[in-house]
Amino acid sequence: MTGPAGSIRGKDDFIRRIAVRLGRGEPLKEAPPRDVKGVPEFYRAAAASRQELIDRFVREWTALSGKVRLVPRGEAAAGAAAYLEEIVTGEKVEAVSLWDDPEIAGLGLEAALNRLGAETVVWRESNGGLSGDGGDNGHDPDDGPKAEDGTDGGKPSGWRARSGLLRATERCRLGVVCPDYAIANTGTLVLQACGGRGRSVSLLPSVLLAVFPAERLVMRMGEALERLRSEGETKGGLPSSITLVTGPSRSADIENDLTIGVHGPGKVHALILV
Amino acid sequence: MSGAGAKAGDKRKLIGSGLKLRAKDALGNAFLRGAVAFTTDKLRGGRLNAMAEFGNWEAWRERGRAIREHTIRHLDYYLSQFAEGVAKAGGHVHFCASADDAVGVFMEIAGRHGAKLVAKGKSMVSEEIHLNEHLAAAGIKAVETDLGEYILQLAGETPSHLIIPAIHKNKAQIAELFSKDAGRPLPPETKPLADYARARLRSIFLEADIGLTGCNFGVAESGTIVVVSNEGNGRMVTTIPKVHVVVMGMERLVPTFEDLEVLLNLLPRSATGQKLTSYVSLITGPRRPGDLDGPEELHVIVLDNGRSEQLGDPVFQEVLHCIRCAACLNVCPVYRHVGGHAYGGVYSGPIGAVLTPLLQQDMAEAGQLAYASSLCGACWEACPVKIPLHDMLVHLRQRKVGMKLNPPSERAAFRMYKKVFANVKWFRLATRSARLLQRPFVREGQIRKAPGPLSGWTRSRVLPALPERPFRDRWAELKRELYGNPADGGKGPSGSFDGGGDGR
Repeated sequence: MTGPAGSIRGKDDFIRRIAVRLGRGEPLKEAPPRDVKGVPEFYRAAAASRQELIDRFVREWTALSGKVRLVPRGEAAAGAAAYLEEIVTGEKVEAVSLWDDPEIAGLGLEAALNRLGAETVVWRESNGGLSGDGGDNGHDPDDGPKAEDGTDGGKPSGWRARSGLLRATERCRLGVVCPDYAIANTGTLVLQACGGRGRSVSLLPSVLLAVFPAERLVMRMGEALERLRSEGETKGGLPSSITLVTGPSRSADIENDLTIGVHGPGKVHALILV
Repeated sequence: MSGAGAKAGDKRKLIGSGLKLRAKDALGNAFLRGAVAFTTDKLRGGRLNAMAEFGNWEAWRERGRAIREHTIRHLDYYLSQFAEGVAKAGGHVHFCASADDAVGVFMEIAGRHGAKLVAKGKSMVSEEIHLNEHLAAAGIKAVETDLGEYILQLAGETPSHLIIPAIHKNKAQIAELFSKDAGRPLPPETKPLADYARARLRSIFLEADIGLTGCNFGVAESGTIVVVSNEGNGRMVTTIPKVHVVVMGMERLVPTFEDLEVLLNLLPRSATGQKLTSYVSLITGPRRPGDLDGPEELHVIVLDNGRSEQLGDPVFQEVLHCIRCAACLNVCPVYRHVGGHAYGGVYSGPIGAVLTPLLQQDMAEAGQLAYASSLCGACWEACPVKIPLHDMLVHLRQRKVGMKLNPPSERAAFRMYKKVFANVKWFRLATRSARLLQRPFVREGQIRKAPGPLSGWTRSRVLPALPERPFRDRWAELKRELYGNPADGGKGPSGSFDGGGDGR
């Protein structure tokens, strides 16, 4: 997962000054010993059953105005298609951006959406423009009202392709993602971004659907962070972006009036496979 | 405006000398006072509910304090580790001792990319270094994308609250600003105004050359930048532009993800009463090969700018524990009356009154903020990492006096006070003369309009008159009343003043 090399400038003097101010001749080289670390002990324990985790997530998620649907594993594809239909009809969705993810593919969501007449943009490098899986449906990626003027001509083709994908996603009303984890006690989705799992899919559309199996539920944030950290260690580093999503985008900046859906999705749905 | 008026205007801009003028302005602004009271009540109520619901709040606070203390005490180690983590993930770290250095680094990055438009997530540090002014001077447009900050940018004003920056603006004023920006009239209603901002700022996100954010926490063990937001603008500027620049105060670190869990539980609960903000972005380096979005370059500017001066200081080192939640603003009786602008700087409220003079290393002007407090200690009680702000305010006053920065008349008065109160003969003489001198001003036991230096007190309060018979003279008689035995005089318990022993 390593990319181009990074760099550090101006460190020595800066760190030395801190060390001197803290009463050390030389900057500390060894990790300092610690008395306490992380959350208080009473918060750590709390073993919860699968059902408790589901109940808690549902309670927190709906308190944030999120919608949720539980679908048994055995009828996952049909249940997911039915929920998608409700969202597509209810929100007048014409185009949908989806993560290129085995769980989403396994449920056949793309085909279900196409049957509903919605265009699909799967987060895949080959889908540079607004098209289904490789097909051209006549949309010019440059005709969007908000297309920027400087991204195409003269830029490397990789950027143009990615930019096309970004713009295509920007025109989608619905984004579909598959969280790595979900945190029950705050009603939070944990989304690692890499490859086919674009950051933009859960951000640019105004409606979000998160699909995940109930096994991915944990009670508290620390459990998810610990798993991400240890997965990162085996993969040689964390992904460039991990996002915790807790309910819809919101603001109270205009006279304290709660406004939902300021920049990110204003409506959030969760489909849990149980 | 007359010459005198213009002079008052200039004085308003001085952090210390303009404090009273700005406070007076604020007190005369009914909408502002109502809005500040409403907002702080709402945020304070949210915090109290969140604390009650979460349970064991004191244990959490103590844990937060311990983590911050450990981090700051070993900041040299953790900053090194953090920088190596950022670089290992492909990011570039720039250590900058001063605001000028930080601005210089940003300009260099902007220049290399030929940047014309910078989309800014919320960043107090970028305001601290006045980055927008420098960018404007270089012909680079910087747009604030937090809704509140965007409103303020259009108005050409500064934040009046750390968390809700535009609390002093009403819908009609916002509609006027947005209508001018849009070139068409917009109604003074929340929904259409927010929709306009969404569409307008969306085009900024898509077109920006550089996305700039602050940093709520940096995780030392991995070199991860943590940015929280509710609107999603923080995610936009770290996702869409090709270059992401983080400007962070050097003290923003936590050692590990385990510690991050503690502070991410404390921050939103203390700030707004939310269990968690809508979005928390954990950013480790720029996009990796195979990623199809996210910035291609990540720069992290780590700023000192007066912070290291506080390290090793037995009193003020703890100010670096602050996590910028603004809980101290919402409970401060002074802030709640005058709002953020009265403080004249980027950071307002009790934390601003401490931080501004320390960061600017200016006791003469900024040091006057230490007097914008009643020293009640509500700030300390509300602080999720237990910073004793009220003690620090006393120490700042002490430092100011030690530097002889208080007026000569005040010094003379306190010299006199010391002399009089240290000697019983002088004390008796002084109280006796004061009783005589006060007579022309006393009405029904109160002084409503005091002369000379005392007039400041009676401008908004009454001064109780000195009683005809002072307490000292009545003490023997009071003792008899209390104990009924004159012989027991000197042996009464020293705590016997409890329960109204002042004889009223």
